[in-house]
Amino acid sequence: MVICVAENINIMSKTIGPAMKEKNPGPIQDMARVLTKNGADYLDLNIGPARKAGDEMMDWLVRTVREVSDLPLSLDTTNLVAMEAGLKANTQAKPLMNSVSLQPERLEKGIPMVTQYKADVIGLLWGKEGMPRDANERAAMAVDFIYQANEAGIPTSDIWIDPIATPICVDANQVLSGLEFMSMLGDIAPEAKSIVGLSNISNGAPEDLRPYLNRTYMIMLMKHGLYSAIVDGYDKELLSIAKGERPEHVKLVHDIMDGNEPDPASLDQKELEHYKTTRVLMGKVLYSNSWLTT
Amino acid sequence: MTFEIPKVSYTGKIREIPLGREGKTVIVGGESCYPFHLFEGEMPNPPKIAMEVYDSEPEDWPETAIEPFADVIKEPAAWARKCVDTYGAEMIALQLAGTDPNDKDLSADEAAKITKEVSDAVDVPMIVLGCSNVEKDTDVLKAVCEVCDGRNLIIGPVAEGNYRAIGATAIGYKHTVVASTPIDINLAKQLNILLGNLNVPDEKIIIDPSTGALGYGLEYCYSVMERIRMAALIQEDERLQFPIISNLAREVWKTKEVKVPESEAPLLGDIKKRGILIEALTAQCVLFAGADILVMRHPEAISLVKESIKDLMTGK
Repeated sequence: MVICVAENINIMSKTIGPAMKEKNPGPIQDMARVLTKNGADYLDLNIGPARKAGDEMMDWLVRTVREVSDLPLSLDTTNLVAMEAGLKANTQAKPLMNSVSLQPERLEKGIPMVTQYKADVIGLLWGKEGMPRDANERAAMAVDFIYQANEAGIPTSDIWIDPIATPICVDANQVLSGLEFMSMLGDIAPEAKSIVGLSNISNGAPEDLRPYLNRTYMIMLMKHGLYSAIVDGYDKELLSIAKGERPEHVKLVHDIMDGNEPDPASLDQKELEHYKTTRVLMGKVLYSNSWLTT
Repeated sequence: MTFEIPKVSYTGKIREIPLGREGKTVIVGGESCYPFHLFEGEMPNPPKIAMEVYDSEPEDWPETAIEPFADVIKEPAAWARKCVDTYGAEMIALQLAGTDPNDKDLSADEAAKITKEVSDAVDVPMIVLGCSNVEKDTDVLKAVCEVCDGRNLIIGPVAEGNYRAIGATAIGYKHTVVASTPIDINLAKQLNILLGNLNVPDEKIIIDPSTGALGYGLEYCYSVMERIRMAALIQEDERLQFPIISNLAREVWKTKEVKVPESEAPLLGDIKKRGILIEALTAQCVLFAGADILVMRHPEAISLVKESIKDLMTGK
């Protein structure tokens, strides 16, 4: 089982963005209802950097969503004033702060908020020098984050480490090092949780094909005990995989990762899609937009 | 204990592509190893150099580049003959730069007429390159294909935006296409897949993953070419197993460094030597990255690179 954080209530969305700005609850509540019904475990409320009156917006958004859904909320903004307003407005279910990075100023201000509001926190492995370059740098950054959070009194089990996924069309090696790190996290900090923004992997791919990459990638992460994922809450197939309803596909992908390659001729359409996508994500086949049909 | 040189083992091979008209074809590609790794595999066809000819008199060239062609620079056919007869060109690359709507805006018919004249004047393989304007190239290259029916020209750039129209015409008149993409290995692979889906035969595809001049992003282009070769030879990625063309001269000769006079930039040294060396060095770099066809301009730069290819091929 993978905990699913639905990413759709996002200021970048063409319908939700304007609704947030105009404080029009209708479209947002409609979406929250659908996501809840689809089986999301958390609702991410992404208001972006929210430089102007971010606190007001987050406060309003939390209350608006709360009217129609009891799901725990993931508060998603880089504006820590807005973050705090959201934490204050949230009166039920332990919230998730998305996110606190390893950049010193963000750690310094973000960590005390986690303890004050008894939230869970996403530890984003983004440091002073930007993104980690390989699995070892991710490991070092994870240790650093957990240590600093523990020092401030945050239990490791409240920390959700995000190793940062990057698009397959940029570099397959980064995808592999993210997976390698996931295989190490259990040894580094057994109580720590993990979270990955799946849609990053398919950034740049044709819109209609993105779910194929997101789904197979999640299955690959599941091999290393993925705790949660930030997902497209409208992708019902992805949600059903997360809920453990497609064990045969999970097994297929994990077998391929173990080097047990099936005969492609023996696979049905759906299995073939997973097979081809796994090979692309493992860097065995170079990505192109036609990866499913070649 | 004896020392053994570690060797890469290759599972893929670059396709051999015959260029030019029947009886006069030149074959490129065929490598079964990284560029010049002759201790690991074979390079049956050494890289070739195509000499540039322009459809109309260039207006922004430095004196160094004009001087070898001053007597023929207004006549593309004579220019091409001089490249072959005097400078021993193995191929000609006709640049239809004058068709650019922001330049002289020569019509498709005019471009086709010039192409035909040049093609009649020389019998070496001929590359014909448009102005990189997707719509204009479609018109121009279709007309070019038609008037040179059956001569197996190498036409381009064929891009994502016009591959259907140009690809279909090229199939009809039996020409080879240059599949061009902007410094991105995934896009390069994708365009080759699309051309395949369109039924452009595999032995009619050359790829151009873009080239910058020395000092102008060459390292990015190098890296993409290198990765294309790695995918082709090690990962057996058959949609990347095509010879690579590098259209480098026009990049080199528009840089500031080949144009600024010594009086203004004494540290850059002799202006003539400078341009020739920047062109030769750019060519040398893309050779090491995997280029099979170099589009070059200055005869002295060309002879430097030819000499280097000869040395590398004979292991000297």
